[in-house]
Amino acid sequence: MKTPRILPAIAGLLVACLSLSACAGGGSAAPAASSSASGSTALTDLQKSGVLKVGTEGTYAPFTFHDQTTNQLTGYDIEVITAVAGKLGVKPQFSETKWDAIFAGLEAKRYDLVANEVSINDDRKAKYDLTATYSVSYPVVIVKADNTAITSIGSLKGHTAAQTATSNWGTFATDNGATLKPVDGFTEAVAAVKDGRVDLTVNDNLAALEYFTTTKDTSVKTAVEVPDQKVLQAFALRKDSGLVEPINQALSDLAADGTLAKIGEKYFGKDISH
Amino acid sequence: MDPATWELIVRSIGPLLLGAVVGTIPLTVVSFAVGLVLALLVALARLSSVAVLRWLATAYVSIIRGTPLLVQLFIIFYALPMLGVVIDPFPSAVIAFSLNVGGYAAETIRGSILAVPRGQWEAATTIGMGYTLTLRRVVLPQALRVAVPPLSNTFISLVKDTSLASTVMVTELLRRAQEIAAPSYQFLALYSLAAVIYWVLCSGLSWGQQRLEQHLGRYVTV
Repeated sequence: MKTPRILPAIAGLLVACLSLSACAGGGSAAPAASSSASGSTALTDLQKSGVLKVGTEGTYAPFTFHDQTTNQLTGYDIEVITAVAGKLGVKPQFSETKWDAIFAGLEAKRYDLVANEVSINDDRKAKYDLTATYSVSYPVVIVKADNTAITSIGSLKGHTAAQTATSNWGTFATDNGATLKPVDGFTEAVAAVKDGRVDLTVNDNLAALEYFTTTKDTSVKTAVEVPDQKVLQAFALRKDSGLVEPINQALSDLAADGTLAKIGEKYFGKDISH
Repeated sequence: MDPATWELIVRSIGPLLLGAVVGTIPLTVVSFAVGLVLALLVALARLSSVAVLRWLATAYVSIIRGTPLLVQLFIIFYALPMLGVVIDPFPSAVIAFSLNVGGYAAETIRGSILAVPRGQWEAATTIGMGYTLTLRRVVLPQALRVAVPPLSNTFISLVKDTSLASTVMVTELLRRAQEIAAPSYQFLALYSLAAVIYWVLCSGLSWGQQRLEQHLGRYVTV
């Protein structure tokens, strides 16, 4: 076989792919229509389709998970976005995907919105449309039960943290000097701490609460709580989606009629929406 | 093992089997069927006297065999949308797995065709058969016998490779296990159960392979 002849072919293909992707990268964002005009048409279009497509993990209890007995997707975030969709007169349709691919899916238009405890931060504000807050939490640090080295945010320095690569908790851990070990999700992160693969994981106080309530696990503990560092969660949509105002309206209606408080009560025993 | 975990395992068998029936098995069967057709065409292109065909087929096989399946899947699912091509999860997975099977099985089929003695071609030509007829009635039936063991290998590998589809929103066996493991935090139980189900599936296929080999070998005199 005269193999060397295929090398130029592969090189050519690679060049073609690279130039294509470079071109694709160039024209990233479509020009935005004026928000009010696109807003009304976006909502009309959505109502015409009858479906709000939602991206979520499906493996992050108690926000988005599968019920043990019915196997149905449920959770705080799922119920809230279902209620929001109801207010908009559409049905939610869920696509389940891993956290680290969740924004890739949003940008690839696989769904209209992400409902997965997306914390509001400046980077995300710049890149996405974020709605009003529907849950408020604060960071906690989970370590092995016998760990005495980690007692405050200041003591994360030099320790390893299991986090999803692209989450705000990962950023929080690295900002405070921890080294990040990437995992798929919260449950894997706790398992990594439990198994001694890493020193700690930072997450939501509510997710931690759920973990300890469900498992009665005593081999890990919450070492640090930072209740004054409030983190606000919102739904994320593509920039200039035109759907933020109608969704915010729906959220404030749901707050006013007590629905948000009721969903919070069901999962956390309290209203966590503000 | 405590009773609660045991109960969870028993309760999870149904959902996991459902994941296999609606995800893993259709993914495997459809991808293998499409991949096999592709593989036959690529194998014939590799054996063709037309240089361009040979060359394209060689490049295709080289790319498929030289890049990870997970990367191929991610390119189809996450990267193509940047060029404006958005394909749904299940078809994306089918495309990736079919292309992958096509690349590997092409080499198997090519080798199997070459394993049929040259004289068979010549004899068929002598009695006036054309290329297509010779392939269909003389060469491929003989090549098939040779190809069954390596193709079964590819098929059984594919069953397990479909677990990668859990990373692109396809709910199959592994994803089901993850869905149940997440709120219950029972990784060992659920992943072990998934492993057992994969193993049972593949053992069944191995048994089928033996039967098929016996069937295809029934006219062979040793």
